[in-house]
Amino acid sequence: MTEGAIELELRGITKQYPGVLANDAISMTVRSGEIHAIVGENGAGKSTLMSILFGLVAPDDGEILVRGERVQFKSALDAIASGLGMVHQAFQLFPTMTVADNVVYGHEPRRGWFIDRASSVRQVGDLAKSYGLGIDPSARIEHLRVGALQRVEILKALYRDARVLILDEPTAVLTPQERDGLFEVLRRLRADGRTILFITHKLNEVMAISDRVTVLRRGRVVHEVATSDTSPAELSIAMTGRSVDTSRRRAEHAVGASLLEVSHLRVDDADGIRRVDDVSLTVHEGEIVGVAGVTGSGQAELIEAIMGLRPVTDGTITLQGEDVVHLDLRGRRDAGLAYVPEDRHRVGSAALASTSQNLFMAYQWQRRFQRRGWLNRRAVERHARELIDTYDIKVAGPDQKVAELSGGNLQKVVVARELAHDAPVLIAEQPTRGVDVGASEFIHGQLVAHRDAGRGVLLVSAELWEILALSTTIFVMFDGRLVAQLDPHETDDVEIGLYMTGANEQQRVHT
Amino acid sequence: MFDRLFDSALLLSVVRATIPILLAAMGGLICERAGVFQISLEGTMLVGAFTAVSMSYVSGNAYVGVLCGMAAGVATSSLLAVGHVSRKGDPIVIGIAINLLAVGLTGFLLPQFFDLRGVFRDPAIVGLSTYALPGLSRIPVIGSALFQLTLPGYCAFLLVPLIWVLLFRTPVGLRLRGVGENAPAAQTRGVPVTTYQYAAVLISGALAGLAGAQLALGNVVQFSENMSAGRGWIAVVAVLLGQAHPLGVLAAAMLFGLAEGLGFRLQGNGLAVQITDALPWVVTLIALFIARKRFIRLLDLTGRAA
Amino acid sequence: MSSNVSIPDRFHATGGVTRAGHRFSAGLRSPVTVALVLSFGIAAVILLASGANPLTAYSEMWKGATTGAGPRTIIDRAIPIVGMALAISIPLRSGIINLGGEGQMVVGGLAAALTGIHMPGPAALVIIASFLAGTAAGVVWALLPALGQTAIQLPILITSLLLNAPARALTSYLVKYYFGDKTATSTTTVALPPHSRLPKLDWLFGGASATVLLIAVLVIAISLFNNRTAAGYQSFISGINLRFARYGGVHVTRQTVASMAVGGAIAGMVGAHLVLGQSGRFVDGDLAGSGFAWTGLLVCLLAVSRPVPILIAGAFFAALQVGGLAMQRNAGISGQLAQVLQAVVILALAMRVVPAVRRRRRGHAGSSGDLAIADEEPLGALRPDPVESDAGSAAPGIAAR
Repeated sequence: MTEGAIELELRGITKQYPGVLANDAISMTVRSGEIHAIVGENGAGKSTLMSILFGLVAPDDGEILVRGERVQFKSALDAIASGLGMVHQAFQLFPTMTVADNVVYGHEPRRGWFIDRASSVRQVGDLAKSYGLGIDPSARIEHLRVGALQRVEILKALYRDARVLILDEPTAVLTPQERDGLFEVLRRLRADGRTILFITHKLNEVMAISDRVTVLRRGRVVHEVATSDTSPAELSIAMTGRSVDTSRRRAEHAVGASLLEVSHLRVDDADGIRRVDDVSLTVHEGEIVGVAGVTGSGQAELIEAIMGLRPVTDGTITLQGEDVVHLDLRGRRDAGLAYVPEDRHRVGSAALASTSQNLFMAYQWQRRFQRRGWLNRRAVERHARELIDTYDIKVAGPDQKVAELSGGNLQKVVVARELAHDAPVLIAEQPTRGVDVGASEFIHGQLVAHRDAGRGVLLVSAELWEILALSTTIFVMFDGRLVAQLDPHETDDVEIGLYMTGANEQQRVHT
Repeated sequence: MFDRLFDSALLLSVVRATIPILLAAMGGLICERAGVFQISLEGTMLVGAFTAVSMSYVSGNAYVGVLCGMAAGVATSSLLAVGHVSRKGDPIVIGIAINLLAVGLTGFLLPQFFDLRGVFRDPAIVGLSTYALPGLSRIPVIGSALFQLTLPGYCAFLLVPLIWVLLFRTPVGLRLRGVGENAPAAQTRGVPVTTYQYAAVLISGALAGLAGAQLALGNVVQFSENMSAGRGWIAVVAVLLGQAHPLGVLAAAMLFGLAEGLGFRLQGNGLAVQITDALPWVVTLIALFIARKRFIRLLDLTGRAA
Repeated sequence: MSSNVSIPDRFHATGGVTRAGHRFSAGLRSPVTVALVLSFGIAAVILLASGANPLTAYSEMWKGATTGAGPRTIIDRAIPIVGMALAISIPLRSGIINLGGEGQMVVGGLAAALTGIHMPGPAALVIIASFLAGTAAGVVWALLPALGQTAIQLPILITSLLLNAPARALTSYLVKYYFGDKTATSTTTVALPPHSRLPKLDWLFGGASATVLLIAVLVIAISLFNNRTAAGYQSFISGINLRFARYGGVHVTRQTVASMAVGGAIAGMVGAHLVLGQSGRFVDGDLAGSGFAWTGLLVCLLAVSRPVPILIAGAFFAALQVGGLAMQRNAGISGQLAQVLQAVVILALAMRVVPAVRRRRRGHAGSSGDLAIADEEPLGALRPDPVESDAGSAAPGIAAR
């Protein structure tokens, strides 16, 4: 590999969020004409780093140098002016406009007062052709598939003549074929002398496409190496750090009768794309079933389908022997499901309601709280106080609005409410995301206690250490399918990581 | 029967009924494209009508009235601009409050300024004159209806192609549409979202004010309390029905104009005034019913998407 | 682990001795107070511009509202205003804006009038039947937009409004061609027989209509519904976060239909009251022309859909109108000033003239549940986007990790 000039340099970039040191003195260099992968687990600080690099977030400390010159980005516009282009995970496009309009937006070629449409279509078409992007400039965005949208984002950056292209988890939304196409495009861009920063946690892709790798863990650079000198196993160890607390899963419990059985479940989204493909799993009494996987592998859709928030295309869901597919969400809750949702703000709580009101959700129709629709307010209040005490929720009182609670405390409200249902099966989705260490440990302890009480837990997490620390059985989900069923005693983070990133694949798993 | 129904007089009344709705709806269209839900057209129109009549009366010049009406429209809509675009207030509540403020304010000022209630009619109010386009106005049947209009009347129909060109052929229009479709994306491309939204709201105020001026100095020459009589609301629906496309909105506005004009004619033919009064509203409801499932954005806005 | 979570300082401010003082100063700084002061200021400017003396105007308003027949007239006027505000509050609390109160009230009024005129039988029975007829008509008129939204996704906001004019036209048509008083010059029904008039109760504020009792019952019932029932809890949650409500098992469709129906029922009752309790006949254009539906909507917005504050705000707006009319009689200043004041108050609140930042900094954990139009953010709860990002995902436009 040729050593090019230094294109981009970061020196001591630091960013502190309340309770989280997102970036801790990150320094790294990116050379011209290389594909540089940045890998790390969820929460390692990758997204924060990219936001800083693209002028969306100001760092507390540190500096950025582009081609040796110190720059300070006040907004994305400054970053673009310095020759940086970013392809976001969430595309920033205008759905009803054409590809050409999207690409030239803000810098339209003009003829007099008008947009020179012929010229914009030609320019965009030429650009697409020269990098093999294969996009019709006259197509409307809303008619394009996700893979094509991504190529439009790349075109946008190229149109503004970006020398450095930053791609944030670019393959999360792509099919394998689209991914291969993207890699081809990236190689062409490299051949053209452009530099690419490739953010991912899929190690197989790192191995396939990158020239160098920087590994982030907990906000720090822990490893920087030429791709040819490393292996997926080494990177995986660097990413996860092997500092997994394994104490909890030692206290093994006898596994009892089956509680939740999902069989050959298929879920298609509104566009007819298959999000969950032939998934079968069982949660038994006294079991925490972990579903590991990179975010966006179909876990969210699987959970929504089980809860009744998303229609099932095919397959069965039975709860303690009862078929629940035909029941609505309330019916399924009554049949024995509780649910800690991934998005505690939009789905799991109402910011303007009091703590007591938030703790009461999905209890309102239960016998012990109402008679013929009339609430027993004393019982409601007692319920709130009990939960606040039992789960150590830091509030001024049951009447305090949850908008005023910290993230960890709000999550405790959600978890407390769902645990207190004492449902046979608790579904916990990313239960500790964005939560401080103390609250996170507390929540883990509660999940284990729930299991020890003979209940079942279905734990979905993108955090490997969390899955390893808690689960009695581990499934790995990749691309809508369960690609592995693993025994936590016989596996480790490296192996799971390989399945999660699609580097390994067992035979299709069924239980 | 049809001979008696459809003639140039009918066409004329349809065109006259269409013009104020079209003007206001074009303003609403621009706001919709900029991502601002504009439901204060009704009140803005009313303020425009009152100001236009007052200033025409005072100055003795219809165009002074028209310009003042437009300025009053801009002032009225600035409440929405400041309250919603800058201060992020709820556009629906602000819009409702503006509409009611307009009714109250014009109703208050009418007796205060002119010492009368209900209807302000005076020879000193100078109405808008019509201008015949040479040659074209001689075309039988349609000539006198389409080519003998007031300046705001011509303006209304000219705005349709103009706004079409602006939206779909110029950089400003492209950017405006982008602001409405995905404001954060527009912002990262260096387009000042707030400026565009302010401009859109203020232009809609000017156009709604112009609509009011046409109503009070063109269609009739008088001001009566609450004389906009729901036309601003119909303009809001026209924007929805026409999917914020100039031609679609024109078609919707003409549909309502037709309902009003036809109602007026049928009334002359002895149909109950109640039926003809309800006609534009019922037509609106039927049109909504036919074009349903296109209003998801609005349902999102009111938080009740199915 | 408990040590790294600190309770914000602000909560200490509401304890003990400081509480009364805190509450008082919070009341003074509350957005509603500021908006009221502001609107009287703005109206004063308008008065000056129109050549009137604001001091004369306001003192005449005050006199008109507080002396002579003023207080009783206020009650007469407050009945329909409060009633319509209650009608609108039920759907609004669950996040639905019903602009069709006027139409629901008008059809209710006609249905009640026709029942009262034509139904034989004992007075009490006729009155009750008339109210029920008005209620039923209001329900029907409210269900049209409700089903339009739940079945075919036509937004209630628009359809409810569009149905007002057809309601006016339909009632007018029926009165003119089928049920009218042929001897009268205007479009009106005959007068109700005396026994189907709603009695005025001498012991009630010196002769207020018996509907006051109905309003009192409604206020109590709605308060109980809001605070004591599962459905009331669910409607509150739907109004502030619909996704959370769905997640918690609320049947949103059922709720939409039910809350519109109840709102329509109350609007229909108000229509019945206006005929049976005030005019004694259905006069075309009277009900719609009264503007009670719209005043009620403003009252409901000001009171953030809560019944007891609606009572207070409704009485206040009625007083403004009565004072306005007195001012018009005695000082020759147009009474429509009252409408201006009402709209400006709501506008000032909706435009968030009082900065939100200051409200957020002030803790008021102790003052929730106060009856007074207190220091909550009015209108803010209508359609909030309560999402505040956690640490780490603070970059807008970038998908969270």
